[in-house]
Amino acid sequence: MSKPYTLSPEQIARLKSHSRREKLHRTISYFSPLLLLLLWEICSQTGLIDRRFFPAPSSIAGTAWQMTASLEIFDHIWATLRRVAVGYVLGAVPGILLGLILGLSAPIRRVLGPIFSALYPVPKIAILPLILLIFGVGDASKYVVIAIGVFFLMFYNTLGGVMQIPQIYLDVARNAGGSRFQTFRYIALPSAMPNIFTGLKLAAGSSYIIIAAAEFLGARSGVGFMIWASWQTFAVSRMFVGIVVISAMGYFTILLLEALERKFVPWAKH
Amino acid sequence: MIVHSDEISRDVSVPAEAAPAIEVRDLVKAFYDVSGDRITLAAANVNFTVKRGEFVCIVGPSGCGKTTVLRILAGLEQPFSGEFRLHTSAQPAMVFQEASVLPWLTVAQNVAFPLKLKGVAAKEQRARVAELLELTGLTDFADARPHQLSGGMKQRVSVARALVDDRDILLMDEPFGALDEQTRLVLQQELLRIWERTGKTVVFITHSVDEALTLADRVLVMSPRPGTIVADLPVPFERPRDVVEMRRDKRFWDLTYEVWRLLAVSPEH
Repeated sequence: MSKPYTLSPEQIARLKSHSRREKLHRTISYFSPLLLLLLWEICSQTGLIDRRFFPAPSSIAGTAWQMTASLEIFDHIWATLRRVAVGYVLGAVPGILLGLILGLSAPIRRVLGPIFSALYPVPKIAILPLILLIFGVGDASKYVVIAIGVFFLMFYNTLGGVMQIPQIYLDVARNAGGSRFQTFRYIALPSAMPNIFTGLKLAAGSSYIIIAAAEFLGARSGVGFMIWASWQTFAVSRMFVGIVVISAMGYFTILLLEALERKFVPWAKH
Repeated sequence: MIVHSDEISRDVSVPAEAAPAIEVRDLVKAFYDVSGDRITLAAANVNFTVKRGEFVCIVGPSGCGKTTVLRILAGLEQPFSGEFRLHTSAQPAMVFQEASVLPWLTVAQNVAFPLKLKGVAAKEQRARVAELLELTGLTDFADARPHQLSGGMKQRVSVARALVDDRDILLMDEPFGALDEQTRLVLQQELLRIWERTGKTVVFITHSVDEALTLADRVLVMSPRPGTIVADLPVPFERPRDVVEMRRDKRFWDLTYEVWRLLAVSPEH
């Protein structure tokens, strides 16, 4: 009779030691960005780097606190957020719909596809003066420039998603007696969902790039305006607050989209 | 051309004089490849008849056009010439070759898919889906997502989905081709059990001689491309069949030899 094979306590410890080390590394990794801030603080305080260009993080935090207490920062955040949100929706909805339509219909794709291919490479910032000329310096021009940027990202990502639908899924709908609209709604849209979310995340990132540039040039409010105005008055701490705020806005937008993705695309691997 | 007729008989025994469910006459399918300027003849002069309630397997080498014939019957492709008649009130249901289970739906939603497209009431859908999940042994997996399922489970879902709206004709395109031998045998046995209970007309495509003899009332042997039917062999085993016990029967191996001989001497083109 053979005894069942068992591991000795030493062997078990050896097996576990690896994962313990991994856990330690992960714990340190949370704090490594703070290390950079600490280094910056020390260098700035000791004068190793020019304090005029790189004020210490503690002094930037102080400025941020003042701006928060006076509620000034919230006006800028709200102005930027509103422009991004409106422009984003205005661009994303037609982008997704046209991506689905051109993806499913080869004739429409052949006829209209080249128009989008020709317009896509135009840098969105380059046409900002033109858009300001047409839509004025108010919010309408911001909506439009963001919508254009978002539109192309959504259009191409959705189109790519639809073109990748396995033929067999379309056959399933057809064999089940599905209409054209049902195929569109129940096969094309869900199949393209993972790509649509990739597009939404990319578009969110580029929306903040575009809005920052647009607010530099033609706005009296917004985080981009705040960065630019601070630079012109050499209020470097305020400028850094603006940079941190707009980065955080982008970061939280992506987090929100990822949460939505987990909810609406539970079948995709994350 | 498709002829619909409403009289539906359910005879598991399939008497010799049973009415035809599928008639295929001189069917030809050709493809034109623009980039290579080449014409491919996929199927040439295919002729066969399937009686109501009969289980027919089509065997042939890969690329012989057997899938094309099935897709034409399913209404997914148009024939180039020739004609076929389906004596049925609804388009045939298809069980596809590879995993055709929709990954964004749960098992129950996948099975319900044809009912949903037809606008069947939710309550009725639930009752019918529960019935099919029970029949295919998927009840415990109703809320699972396809990526959590094994290949065999996925094909069970495909079979359940094809049966859910109760169409008379079932077309199966190598549904068990990608499965391991053991799983395949289990699913073959279950398919036979389901077929015996529902009395559907089944056309089953396979490249496995073994599988064809296990399942079919009749085996149609196809030649390599351009495919045509070169033999029509009745399979004499009594029903209900036991897929394991069948393998002790000498006739099984005699027929296996016969079909292999036909496949081996099929003229090359």
